[in-house]
Formats: sequence, structure tokens, C-alpha cells
Amino acid sequence: MKLIGIELYKLRRKHLFPMIAIFLAVEIAWAFIVTGRLTARNSEIAGWESIIAMISSMNGLFFPVLSAVCASRICDMEHKGNTRKMLFALSVKPIKLYAAKYACTSLVLFIAALLQVLAITVFGIACNFERSVPLLLLFRFFTGTVITNMIVTVFQQWISMAVRNQAFALTSGMVGGFIGVVADLFPQHIRRVFIWSYYTGLSPVSQLYMDENVRFFVRDTGSLMPVIMVLIAAGIGIYLAGSIHLSKQEV
Amino acid sequence: MNEVITTYNLSKKYGDVYRVRDVNLSVGEGDIYGFLGPNGAGKTTTLKMILGLTRPTDGKVMVFGKDLKENREFILKKTGSLIEAPSYYGHLTGLENMRVIQRLRDLPARNVDEALRIVRLEKHKDKKVNEYSLGMKQRLGIAMAIMSFPKLLILDEPTNGLDPAGIGEIRELIKSLPQRYEMTVLVSSHLLSEIEQTATKVGIINNGIMMFQGTLEDLKKEKHPAIMIRTGNNELALELLLKRGYTPLPDREFLLFENLSDEQISHVIKILISDNIDVFRIEERKKNLESIFLDMTGKGSSL
Repeated sequence: MKLIGIELYKLRRKHLFPMIAIFLAVEIAWAFIVTGRLTARNSEIAGWESIIAMISSMNGLFFPVLSAVCASRICDMEHKGNTRKMLFALSVKPIKLYAAKYACTSLVLFIAALLQVLAITVFGIACNFERSVPLLLLFRFFTGTVITNMIVTVFQQWISMAVRNQAFALTSGMVGGFIGVVADLFPQHIRRVFIWSYYTGLSPVSQLYMDENVRFFVRDTGSLMPVIMVLIAAGIGIYLAGSIHLSKQEV
Repeated sequence: MNEVITTYNLSKKYGDVYRVRDVNLSVGEGDIYGFLGPNGAGKTTTLKMILGLTRPTDGKVMVFGKDLKENREFILKKTGSLIEAPSYYGHLTGLENMRVIQRLRDLPARNVDEALRIVRLEKHKDKKVNEYSLGMKQRLGIAMAIMSFPKLLILDEPTNGLDPAGIGEIRELIKSLPQRYEMTVLVSSHLLSEIEQTATKVGIINNGIMMFQGTLEDLKKEKHPAIMIRTGNNELALELLLKRGYTPLPDREFLLFENLSDEQISHVIKILISDNIDVFRIEERKKNLESIFLDMTGKGSSL
């Protein structure tokens, strides 16, 4: 806990939170405008499902980049100041430092996902959607986003810590964002390989085009559970590989 | 005297090349140990191994009488260090950097103020470290290292980037630490003058091999003074003495003899006189530390 507190302290003057706020504002505004137009054309599909599906879809583009930026900012300060040797000489264990950085990035993205849920709620209430706020649906959306964020962050943090040049990590974030957007076009067995595809893959709402119209369907939780389990296992594997790799690196 | 650091055949190999080979370092309690060597001699690698930042290929490190491998956390809690260039968070102020270390080490706030005062950074503590000069960064690094007033302080080339006044200040600070705070200091440098004025004990490393370890007096004694003889015919004298088993070296208008006992000097003079070679001058040339260092490392005294 002490190390996480110190990591958050070290984020001073990094302007991370204003940057996230701007990023989220752009994404949410975009999603609301698109959803607003869509539902104006077809009032049948107006509802909580449409906005959740839209945000999930856009998260595939925005969150991989956001994760890359957060992980990069949090890790890059150790490269720039050559501070890892100082921290290790202060008996900070490499594995604990890695964990603290991961927890810090995940916490920041957790807050970002929470802000999205709040924004969706406010949007739904403002649009007078017929049903009351669907707490379970929102919770499932939030859980899916947080899990995917955590997996993507595991990957981004490994790159950011292992490679000094952060252009590499940021490029990988952008490539991830691209895959996140186009992954739904791939067959399912290929899509499953890409961790960035799970923003829509774990979304409680799926969208289908039927008769030239888009339709939204609520997915069954049970069908997603095996996927979530495999994803979490893969995340743990990548995390351990990254942590062990970096703890064995000499500074 | 208790040994604070002892290394046993400490070695580090990168690929097929030994960067450090069989180094047996011995630093006593209260020592200011000057670890001397030209650039690339293996000083930093040795210090990193002592701090557990680099794994030795071979050998053992004991600090405070305990094996580093098994007691790293205990040892590092009592050790302050500055290795290579100073480490810092450039986007934070000097004070915020100190607070990071303070929180990591669970130290009282007064230690921060005291350490900043010692290195004379109080007036710049609220400035971002990215805006510091190299010398200020170096002083911040030293402040971070001494902040917990550790039992053992390891400084790797601490005066890098400092101006002459700053070098003098750090030198005085290092000198005062054992008495004021009962610290043992291990300081590395490639500058002989820096070590000469502060160290109570020195170690000289070159190409990863320990060339010498002891007090400065021991170092001076290590090399016997050279004897310089000027004769009426140096060429003939050289030829004659070589035949008699002596190996003088021509040095301008002198013949230079290394490691000659009094009896041998007398014998050399007798040979020259008996062969009618005039002897004009016999001089004893004592080597200063700089030339001893030069002899040992085969390089200049500041490389």
C-alpha cells in the first residue's frame, strides 16, 4: 500500500488526470452524439442498451490508447531519472515495484471506467429512457471494461518497463486501439486471440445488423464466464512473465 | 576494528570477459575507503555487487558481518548509496524527491531538512529537478543517500559535475561523516587527488583486478624510491652494469635504478669507479602517489 501511495505521489505534475478527463470527455461526447442520431432515426432502439453498446465499441479504440498512455507515464519516470537502481538500493523489491505500478495504472483506469458509468447514467436519465437505470447491466458493462483494461494494462506495462523508448509502448497502444475497433469484423476464433477485442467481447450488449437496421441484444452472463476465466488466466500469465522478466534484469 | 564490508573473490563476467575478477575488498568500521581506478576499471560493477544490484558471477559479499544474499533487506536499510549518475524524478521538486525517499524509508521530516541543509540545497528545494544544474542534481543525490544517516555510505564518483568549490565541500562533508554520524564511507573515484585528501584506506582496481589495498602510507611504502645516477659516460656505464646483472634505465642524463638496496648502490658505485667512469651525482627520487597510481594502472592519474 505504501508503494502504491508513493506511485500516486510521483504522478504529481504529470497532468495524468486532466488528460484522462479530456480523453474520456471526447469519447463520451462522440458516443452520445452518435447514439443520439441513431435513436432519433429509429426510436425503437432508443434505450440503455444502445448507449452501452456504443460506449463498449468506442472503448475498443480509446481504452487501449489510454492504457498505453497511463502505463507509459507511470513507468517512464523510472527510465528518465534512472531511478530503478536507487529504488532497488533502498531495498524496494522489483516485484513489488512492478505490482505497485500495475495497481496504480489499474486504479486510474478503474476510475475512468467508473466515470463512464456515471456519464451513461446521466445521459440515460437526460434522454428519458423508458426503463429505470439498469444497475445490473451497468455493473456488467463496468466489470467487462475493468477486466479488459486490466489485461491490456498488463501487456502495456511490460512493454513500458522493458523498453526505454516509450514510442514503442504508445505505438503498441495505438495498434491495440485499431485492433479493438476492427476486431468485431474477424471470425470469433481469431477475435478471441486479441486482448483488445474484449471491450465489445465482454460487453453485456451485442449489436447485430438485421434488415439494414441495427439491433441490440443483452447477452447471457453464463456464456461469458468461460471467456472471462480464460482471459484472467492469460492476464495472470502475462503479468507473471513481465514481472519475472523485469525482476531478473540488472540495473 | 570490525569489518563493515568484506568481499571474497568477487567476480563478474559479461560474456567471456571478466569485468571484475577475484576482488577481495575489506572496509573497516569508521573507514573512509577510497576505491580508485581509471574509467572502466570495474569500480561501479563492484559497488553494484556490494549493493546487490548486480549478481556476482562468483564470490561472496559480507556487509555488517552478514551475507548479502540472505540479508539484503537488513543491509540495505542501514546503507545509503549514490551509484553512477544521480537518480531523480525530474518532474518533481527537490523536496518532493526527498519526500519519496522519506516515505520509502519511514524517516522523520527533520531528516529531509537536515540532509538538504548539509548539501546546501534548502534554497532550491522547491524548484523542479529538471531545472537543476548537474552539480545540484549530484548534491540532491548525495542528500538522498545520507538522508537516513546510514551506518554505511557508498558513493560512486560523488563529485562528478561539481565545480571546484562544490568538490571541496563534498570532500569536507565526506571527511566529517565518520565522526559526526559514525558512518563508514566507501567512495569511488578516478581522481587520485580526491581520494588522497579524504581516504583513510585505499583500494586500487585496474582492469577488474585489485592492484593494491591498504593505507596511503602503505601505498607510498609499496614502491621503493628510485636511485638516479649521473655519470661522465652513461652509455658505457649502462653497458657495463647490464653485464654485471643490473638493469638501469636511461632517464635523460641519468641512469634510473628501481628497488636498489644500500649495499647494491655501494656496489654499483664501486663498479663505475673501478672502470674509471666519473660519477657526478647520486639522487634518491621518491615517488608521489600520482606516479605510483600511474605505475599501477598504466594510465594517467586522472583518466
